[in-house]
Amino acid sequence: MSEQIIPAQGLPAAPLGSWVAWITQRSTLVAGLAIAGLILFIGFVAPFLYPPDPFAIHPDHALQAPSWAFPLGADELGRDELALLLSGGFATLVVALPAAALAFIVGIAYGLTAGLGPAWADRVMMRLLDAILALPSLIILIFFASLVTLNDTSLILLLGLISWPGLARLVRNETRAQRGRDFVLAAEQLGGGRFYIARMHLVRVMAPVLVVNGTFMIGDSIFAFSALSFLGLGVQPPQVSWGSLLESALDIIALDPWWLILPPGLLVFGALLAASLTGQGLLQRWGNGR
Amino acid sequence: MSDVLKLENLSVSLPRGRAGNVAILDELNLTIGAGEMLALVGESGSGKTIAALSVMRLLPRGARVQGSIQLAGTELTALDDRAMRGVRGRDVGMVFQNPLAALNPSRTVAAQIQEAWRVHKGGSIRAARARALDLMGEVGIPQPAQRLDDYPHQFSGGMRQRVMIAMALACAPKLLIADEPTTGLDPLIARQIMQLIARLRREHAMGVLFVTHDLSVVEEHADAIHVLYAGRSVEFGGARQFFAHPRHPYSAALLNSVARLGQARLQNIPGQLPEPEARPAGCRFAPRCAYHQPACDAAYPALIANGGTAAACLFPLPAGGVLQAAPLAKPAGRNYAPQLEVQDLSVRYEEAGGWFGAGGKQPPTLQDVAFSLGKGECLGVVGESGSGKSTLGRAVLQMIPYGGHVLLDGHDLAGLHGPKRRAQRRRLQVVFQDPRESMNPRLRIGDIVAEPLRLQGRISQAETRRRVAALLGRVGLNPELALRLPSAVSGGQAQRIAIARALAAEPEVIVLDEPTSALDVSTQAMLLNLLKDLGQSDALSYILISHDFAVVSYMADRIAVLNAGRIVEMNETARLIEAPQHRYTAALIEAAPQLRSRSR
Repeated sequence: MSEQIIPAQGLPAAPLGSWVAWITQRSTLVAGLAIAGLILFIGFVAPFLYPPDPFAIHPDHALQAPSWAFPLGADELGRDELALLLSGGFATLVVALPAAALAFIVGIAYGLTAGLGPAWADRVMMRLLDAILALPSLIILIFFASLVTLNDTSLILLLGLISWPGLARLVRNETRAQRGRDFVLAAEQLGGGRFYIARMHLVRVMAPVLVVNGTFMIGDSIFAFSALSFLGLGVQPPQVSWGSLLESALDIIALDPWWLILPPGLLVFGALLAASLTGQGLLQRWGNGR
Repeated sequence: MSDVLKLENLSVSLPRGRAGNVAILDELNLTIGAGEMLALVGESGSGKTIAALSVMRLLPRGARVQGSIQLAGTELTALDDRAMRGVRGRDVGMVFQNPLAALNPSRTVAAQIQEAWRVHKGGSIRAARARALDLMGEVGIPQPAQRLDDYPHQFSGGMRQRVMIAMALACAPKLLIADEPTTGLDPLIARQIMQLIARLRREHAMGVLFVTHDLSVVEEHADAIHVLYAGRSVEFGGARQFFAHPRHPYSAALLNSVARLGQARLQNIPGQLPEPEARPAGCRFAPRCAYHQPACDAAYPALIANGGTAAACLFPLPAGGVLQAAPLAKPAGRNYAPQLEVQDLSVRYEEAGGWFGAGGKQPPTLQDVAFSLGKGECLGVVGESGSGKSTLGRAVLQMIPYGGHVLLDGHDLAGLHGPKRRAQRRRLQVVFQDPRESMNPRLRIGDIVAEPLRLQGRISQAETRRRVAALLGRVGLNPELALRLPSAVSGGQAQRIAIARALAAEPEVIVLDEPTSALDVSTQAMLLNLLKDLGQSDALSYILISHDFAVVSYMADRIAVLNAGRIVEMNETARLIEAPQHRYTAALIEAAPQLRSRSR
């Protein structure tokens, strides 16, 4: 029995450093949540606050730089860029968020099933996962996107079903590591079945890992959808998304329309940043949650 | 000057949260002479490890040290970091509790033993290697020449600790600091390590500061004892005088809470160690002391020499005042109604391997084990690490596949599946060694204790709360603990919670797998007493698995001795101790702390 040098209530490393650490911890999370709030606001609230019709064409204003009438300028067809951006935000988030949620649930379920199941099932499921992970997900995405009619539902399914394997592997490994721990054995001895063990113990112990990875998946999902739209496989015209706005702007990059490139780029970047910072912040606050 | 180490008014405070520094150790005075072994004894939170670390100046950052630390006449507190590095490893050697963690797994033991020598004395690799070879021979590693280039994982626990000692001795230090070097080792091995340290200190005229929580470990070899409680000295003096007549009530209580062969009842020390922020102004042990008087709370009592030892107590116990209760004769040959029957139990672990699980077979971990357990009986299972005792427990609990039969109330458990199997398994419960590991760190205590209740069927919130409170009360805990997380309770409390959870399932048999070996001595005593009382009041049957023979003999009606996967001897406790048949049993009994007569 070794003596506890550091008393029970987790002592920070040094008195001064702890203050700084405390602030940086909070600031990461707060910054992440603030940016996330802004992105959600832009996607779901702002379209109702900014009345101009995104699809109305004003040929005489084509490629106009920002002005009072067009706060973020107009595109090559003379559409209001700000209105497009807001409408595109809704189109992006309404697909990307449910897709991330779908991937999150499938990943956890698959990982838990493999980790708790008999050894042979685990082996089969993990080899299958290896096979999926061996193919670049964007290629699979493009392949399937060319097969089905693209609408919101099919896009959610496509994106969701393509991005779970990483989480599934993580959950499976974590399950394997945790299932031999004493409190899991004790729960089995008390009569807990596999589903109970998974729900009551494994998911709870893994919560930090899950939440952090969940936020990363939101970022990935937005990025993948933007990439898909960028390739012309996302939303169908005239509807736009952040990715497709970026794509059409890049077509005419020679004309240097910075007001068409910078805003959608910044929004995609901001969404990724929000997810990443929130994840980092949660990870720091929950620490190495044992 | 013959004092190797002299501490004068040593006080240490450590940073704790935003409150600033908190005093951990106050005004420690001690001296260790050449060739003398001083045991610094205390429980978790007593400050004993901090005292040892402050000698080497290895305290956590932000620690403040006051007072004087003299090593062979040199004032260490005045040295700069560079000079201090010269002292570490050359003048002071250190041995830690867990040798596997203290050794570098990727370097040979020779390289690690040579290290201190090469750093401090320089010279050729050849000379350093010769020194390593000498040292390995000296600490009793068989065939040292062949083992020089082995890696730490190729040594057993005891041999690793010998390697650590060889490392500490490399530069012939004046002082050896040994921090719980035998804790976690099998008792026979622990005894050998203890004898080794005792021999080396005499041969090298080396002072030894031996830090331990267990008085029985140092009883045989220590020259002087220094007991700490909550950061202050409570008693010190010659070992002979101390063990004959401890004067401070805490020392006596600590001594009486060590399980010994043939002991009738362990002493409980009620209450808990105060947190460093909340230490009483007067005698720090006063709130838990059976002899407490109002005068005790005024100021910390001075250490007063009084016939051999000096005790910080206003009302020291008279010489020979607290005799241990005479051993009770155990009721021999009680008849128990059979509860659990184990027949031809064998367990063989398959080696993990192969793509599709075609693993190689290993020799059996457990072979042809058979015993029966009566209702309300406690069967002790002793054996060293690797004897298969934990495997035996897990097989009985149906946690692992096994060959043979386990019958509960005459019904074979092997053939059951699904809900039937779960219902039968619930009747067998378990308490693990590490109480924190046995609780989900994200659940509240109340939910942990309620787990078996909820698994047994729907019950209302109010009913759950009522029963959880009752269960916590039964194991001697405040029901308010229900709202806390496992990280906010002490080790002893955590183990009580684990017991409460097991009780909630209303089991008939509880497997206790080293339930107290991760706990302090006084906590251990209280827990063993609690288990004993519960066993009697509820007619619970126990299978108590432990490497500590004294603990098993205190609890068990019968003892089974396990060696290399087989039961080599099984008998009623008293008879087993009186007339052990097997060599291994006899060695275990000899190594166990004996009940001392106070009249020497």
